[in-house]
Amino acid sequence: MDEKILEVKNLTTRFNTPKGMVTAVDGVSFDVFKGKSLGIVGESGSGKSVTALSIMRLIPTPPGEIAAGEVKLNGEDILTLPDLDMRRIRGNKIGMIFQEPMTSLNPVFTVGNQIEEVIALHEKLSKVERRNKAIEMLDLVGIPSPEKRVREYPHQLSGGMRQRVMIAMALACEPEVLIADEPSTALDVTIQAQILELMKKLQDELGMGIIMITHDLGVVAEVCHDVAVMYCGKIIEQASVVDLFKNPRHPYTKGLISSIPSFDSTSLEEKKRLTTIEGIVPSLLDLPQGCYFQDRCFNVKEECRGGQGAPCLRSLDNHNHMVSCFNPI
Amino acid sequence: MSEFLLEVNNLSKHFPIRGGILGRQVGSVKAVNDVSFKIKKGETLGLVGESGCGKSTLGRAILRLHEPTCGQVIFDGQDITKMNGQELKAMRRKMQVIFQDPYASLNPRMSVGKILSEPMLIHNLATKSADQEKRIHKLLDFVQLPKDAINKYPHEFSGGQRQRICIARALAVEPEFIVCDEPVSALDVSVQAQIVNLMMDLQKELGLTYLFIAHDLKVVEFISHRVAVMYLGSIIESAKSSELYGKSMHPYTNALISAIPIPNPEKKHQRIILKGELPSPMNPPTGCHFHPRCPSVSDKCHVKYPGVTEVSQTHEFRCFHPN
Repeated sequence: MDEKILEVKNLTTRFNTPKGMVTAVDGVSFDVFKGKSLGIVGESGSGKSVTALSIMRLIPTPPGEIAAGEVKLNGEDILTLPDLDMRRIRGNKIGMIFQEPMTSLNPVFTVGNQIEEVIALHEKLSKVERRNKAIEMLDLVGIPSPEKRVREYPHQLSGGMRQRVMIAMALACEPEVLIADEPSTALDVTIQAQILELMKKLQDELGMGIIMITHDLGVVAEVCHDVAVMYCGKIIEQASVVDLFKNPRHPYTKGLISSIPSFDSTSLEEKKRLTTIEGIVPSLLDLPQGCYFQDRCFNVKEECRGGQGAPCLRSLDNHNHMVSCFNPI
Repeated sequence: MSEFLLEVNNLSKHFPIRGGILGRQVGSVKAVNDVSFKIKKGETLGLVGESGCGKSTLGRAILRLHEPTCGQVIFDGQDITKMNGQELKAMRRKMQVIFQDPYASLNPRMSVGKILSEPMLIHNLATKSADQEKRIHKLLDFVQLPKDAINKYPHEFSGGQRQRICIARALAVEPEFIVCDEPVSALDVSVQAQIVNLMMDLQKELGLTYLFIAHDLKVVEFISHRVAVMYLGSIIESAKSSELYGKSMHPYTNALISAIPIPNPEKKHQRIILKGELPSPMNPPTGCHFHPRCPSVSDKCHVKYPGVTEVSQTHEFRCFHPN
């Protein structure tokens, strides 16, 4: 049995907007295991980034608020911790990489300074030791001539390099959990391949649990062990990566997988049209009664349209494969 | 009349770098360098490459949104680069463009009806308001938007719907050729599939010719008849899209293909991970521009720029050490 590091239970995050209360994350539960990666996939607005920010307790309050749920790190609920204790966990026990390497580094400090700041906050090391550790981290993430780079400013580095610096910062205190929020989305494919490879290698070496947030199912298939698919703030399907791709049970998951163009040697004339999911994601302010996916679903039944409320996440024949759908495929 | 609708010959676009107190030109960024290709009527040519390789600049230079430095763009038998303002305006009725960001490319103060009628007014296509309305309804029908969209404003639509409005606007002047500059990159996967299907349907229905620019090789390969791969301002390989998979010759194309994450966890493939990043076009490497990152580099690549090698009529590449 794998060692469970992080346990998220029934996490609910709301935002009070001028147009009304929005539940961005709605009763989300999942576990993160040591040395394993959990992928959270979904389209924009599905609540995947808010989930990550809620775990880190970085939701601006007000207007946001974590309304319910537990986030247990090694058995201890971090949602109830005082702010000061939470700061000891952020960056130390849980590291985070953000999507935009351009905007998440401070332009007026050298990258060395920024990595050292993380170390200074959490570890008792001298100035020289911190600098050495920063150089060691840059070397770990594959930045050439780290002794020189440590003195450079973010604008002197390319996008891929900056993302490596972000990873170095997140890993500086050897966290047990790494939350990566779209770490490769802003990068070119060849650089994305480098970054994903690096993350896999570091996971093997350091054994941290990773939460990989992405909209790209290809990335999930490459690096994750388990997947949770989110739609309108809820997890609608959760399974091991092989199960999910081989045997998707929720119509939305199936739609997502088949809307990716395949890359093969068929000519344009032989190609079939892409499978699409009709319609658009409903607004969180105006969610339909019953299943949130009903208006776009090809498998919709009478019971999906309200009455019984939204479907709950339940396991099907295979214990580890969970779906929230009244009429799974 | 030749069978090609668009012929681009040795097109270059260099941007000057100015420096010093006097602002003299101290160098140039060779964004597009000596690019040639042809597109048949009704065909889609896909153009892929990483950011900064010059693919968008090429698209714009063809429309003369950037003034080309040298080279020819022959559209329908006429050289666009030599046209004066009036001739160019008439020509632009036949060539349109769709941009990447559907949020930035629509005027938030104009209703959809106004957005769609403006190109008609500019080109004197429908001056009577009754004609205009009829045509707008037809356009909305083409892009599968409801009729009541005509009085709405861009903020009332989602990203995918806005991109449909952009497509309708491009179609408003009944063009023959459309430059699509990353039209689906900003969209979610499920919406991306809708737009790709729509564009392919419209092509069949209206006989459109596309230059489809994107960084996502999967999408480009799907929609295009032929694909050209750009690296640092030059086309380094072009082939029929069906020839690209498994038959690509250039090491860069191979690396691009192998870098695509495959949505199948059971198929573990050997990735070619390229070292380093795209060099600056201000100071490109000597010889073959790809040699600092190339896995099969030799001494020759450091000094000589490889010429074009033809595999077949539809497949050519620039490399000394093809696969």
